[in-house]
Amino acid sequence: MSLFSSEAPLGGPFDHPAKDDGLKHLGPMQRIKAPQRCFNDSDLVDYALVGVGSAGGVLVQRLARAGFKVIGFEAGPFWDTERQWVSDEAGSRNLYWNDLRITGGKDPLALGSNNSGKGVGGGSVHWASFVPRLHPSDFEVYTRDGVGADWPIDYEDIEPYYELLEREMPVAGPAYYPWGKPHGHPYGPHPMGEVGNVLIKGCTALGIPVSAGGPVAILSASHGNRPHCIYRGFCIQGCKVGAKASTLITHVPDALAHGAEIRDNAMVSRIGMGKNGSVNGVHYFDAEGIEHFQRARAVIVCGYALETPRLLFNSACPGHEFGLANSSGTLGKYLMAQAGNVILGRFDNLIRQYKAPPAHALTEEFYETDPKRDFARGFAVQTVGPLPIAFAKQMMTAKGLWGWGLRRAMMDYNHWSPLGLLGEILPWEDNRIEVADGRNGRQEAYDKFGLPVAQVTFSLRDNDKRLIEFGKNKVMDIMRAAGATEVVQEQRYAHLVGGARMSATADTGVCDKFGRTWDVPNLFVMDGSVFPTQGSANPGLTIQALAARTADYLLMQGESIFTSKARDLSNPPCRRDLSPT
Amino acid sequence: MLLRKEDDSPEPNVQTKRPLDPSTAVPLELKTTPGYYPGLHALKQQKFWDAATRKLVFDRVGSTPPIRFFTPAEAATMQAVVDRVLPQDDRTEATRIAILPGIDDRLFSNRIEGYRYEDMPSDQDAYRIAIKAIEAIAQKIHGTSFHNLETMKQEEILQSLHDEKPEAAEALLKAFNLKRFWSMLVSDCCAVYYAHPYAWDEIGFGGPAYPRGYMRLEGGEAEPWEVDEQRYDWLAPEDTISDRPQPTND
Ligand SMILES: Cc1cc2nc3c(=O)[nH]c(=O)nc-3n(C[C@H](O)[C@H](O)[C@H](O)COP(=O)(O)OP(=O)(O)OC[C@H]3O[C@@H](n4cnc5c(N)ncnc54)[C@H](O)[C@@H]3O)c2cc1C
Ligand code: SF4
Repeated sequence: MSLFSSEAPLGGPFDHPAKDDGLKHLGPMQRIKAPQRCFNDSDLVDYALVGVGSAGGVLVQRLARAGFKVIGFEAGPFWDTERQWVSDEAGSRNLYWNDLRITGGKDPLALGSNNSGKGVGGGSVHWASFVPRLHPSDFEVYTRDGVGADWPIDYEDIEPYYELLEREMPVAGPAYYPWGKPHGHPYGPHPMGEVGNVLIKGCTALGIPVSAGGPVAILSASHGNRPHCIYRGFCIQGCKVGAKASTLITHVPDALAHGAEIRDNAMVSRIGMGKNGSVNGVHYFDAEGIEHFQRARAVIVCGYALETPRLLFNSACPGHEFGLANSSGTLGKYLMAQAGNVILGRFDNLIRQYKAPPAHALTEEFYETDPKRDFARGFAVQTVGPLPIAFAKQMMTAKGLWGWGLRRAMMDYNHWSPLGLLGEILPWEDNRIEVADGRNGRQEAYDKFGLPVAQVTFSLRDNDKRLIEFGKNKVMDIMRAAGATEVVQEQRYAHLVGGARMSATADTGVCDKFGRTWDVPNLFVMDGSVFPTQGSANPGLTIQALAARTADYLLMQGESIFTSKARDLSNPPCRRDLSPT
Repeated sequence: MLLRKEDDSPEPNVQTKRPLDPSTAVPLELKTTPGYYPGLHALKQQKFWDAATRKLVFDRVGSTPPIRFFTPAEAATMQAVVDRVLPQDDRTEATRIAILPGIDDRLFSNRIEGYRYEDMPSDQDAYRIAIKAIEAIAQKIHGTSFHNLETMKQEEILQSLHDEKPEAAEALLKAFNLKRFWSMLVSDCCAVYYAHPYAWDEIGFGGPAYPRGYMRLEGGEAEPWEVDEQRYDWLAPEDTISDRPQPTND
């Protein structure tokens, strides 16, 4: 029988919630057995992962495929996308990490729905899924420009993993992508929405090359049991269609099929320290608020750039008084966010910015350091697509509107086109995460489990300010060149990374190039917090690629991760046979 | 009518101030769908929505949460405030969107946005302090409660908060960052108003789009079930300053 009819397209009539068949529905066609508890707290598992987000989802899948006993602890729920997600802006707020955090500094960052997810898939559930790679220059910013830091790896180290993850998601984009190290994409580009057309028109008028239709981790053609994009524009509300990649639908089902356990609604509160300076498991709160301890031979923290440092600070213990794995004193420091100014242009013609995925065209023409400019590094320009509530808030900030003025501007919603700046902000020591336990003389704040919350401090430096000023003006020029009659902008930030950076030496970072902490041989960090610098590419692809590379390292090292303090820094072979099917 | 009436709460100052036709200066008729998309009706598309979304949207439209966080006196002030922050005098009674109960419900249920600024108290305390301040300003300048003031006077007070130059109550407001409160207030109003299908109709937003999706992506074209834009000019009501341009930050 065909699944498609005019009365009941895609997966049956809409009159009833999807039938309770005991399965998890991931999009209209993918059904998997709901995750089950496989291990007891007293079992000794090989790996306990904290957080099943962008990085954690990939790692748990690789480790399970390789036959390790692995549990992914996830503070949020294991979603059933058909029953729990909605095609609605306000109704999607619980995809985000809404628990309290404190934000300060001269340029405080908005957190919550502006930065991280909660629930299996983490931030890959609500990302717009732009997936540009970093450029080769990103790995040696200090060497080239004398600012920021160098990575302890090169572009060539991560390149095979970019190729691998671009197939696993898979990524749609042009056959030839000219920036950084030129490369192509496995799926063809998407059609344009009108916001993309604005970018193309403006750039073309100014002689700026543009990439149309990707790279995005959105299906331009159906793939397995995942339908292609239906251009409904709700990407950052979670893609009910399953066209947009998230580790929830790309990697986690394969992990479960290979024996991994995902323990959802399980908030890890502290990492357990055992004998010989090794960790021995994780303390966590279950959904009822009861605390447990799970034994594990190694722990990998994949909790996001804010929660990862928080957990390491909250795991302080004798010998690690200032936070676990913090002998370098760098834990929580060098936090980065990208400048994410939204530039809004009003056009006489209609745009209807809510259609098409927010992510569908970009230019990286200004990515690299240009000696003619008065700042180091650069920026990208990308499409965005705020839905009405987000757009109203942008009108409030960008135009100072309220009252009738706001109502009037909103009636013109369909005449406005947004474009996003994505600018590289350098890593500064003072931009940091601490925990609000009062020990730094500032305010105290605790979550519902009594755990001190993350306290974020963020201030721009001169290079950042000059870059933002130049980048913002460039996007405004593009907008005007596209024909906008009025152009305004809102300053904001996106994509938090750093806070537990990888480094070549033990005194300059928290972990080595594979995420292994310098201080504790069986404790790893692997997520966006390991970035030493961030470029002006969205971080998600790099996060997942690094996670796959670390998985290969763990497989190559085998038992020695659990038993030996020796640190082997040789590169693992790239395992192409571990991709999910 | 959007507010639970308590015996001791004074009658709010209800005025029917409607936008004007610019050529005749005659007030426009009350509309069920203000904006340039007459006839657009998102709720009519419900059979093309998935069940979870349909339930959510219908629950939102069909039920108004009770006022549980604000005291009756605070609610009276806040009702007057939200009536000016997002005025709905152009809407028919039946199509006005209940904003205050949505804000009250958020504060009552402690649905925070995932963070608090270092220089701000909790959202709940911020609202309580701000209401006290608004009342203090109204009393000092006009000798009466905010909700008794005529529209223009209410708006002048709100504009002074927006501009971070309130004429009184400095002591009260010193406790926090006024700019952040103003953003929270307007954001909260927008988050309720523009979550409502009537507001989607007003601005020409198609609403939920799963599993049907969109087929006309380019050129701002309407889907077969959407409505083409039909613009008309309108002037804000006579007694308002909230339609004037504000300085921008670029
Ligand atoms: C609106 C929006 C749009 C975005 N768009 C893009 C984009 O287009 N492209 C892109 O590349 N990036 C984008 N991003 C950024 C991207 O989502 C993140 O960079 C990425 O998901 C971070 O991955 P991660 O593995 O570091 O953490 P996450 O994916 O956030 O995963 C961390 C997980 O750990 C869990 N966790 C944390 N602490 C604990 C604990 N103590 N116990 C148990 N579980 C815990 C969390 O619940 C979460 O699920 C966007 C972000 C936002 C907010
Ligand atoms: S626009 Fe495409 S990828 Fe985005 S939510 Fe809709 S179907 Fe999913």
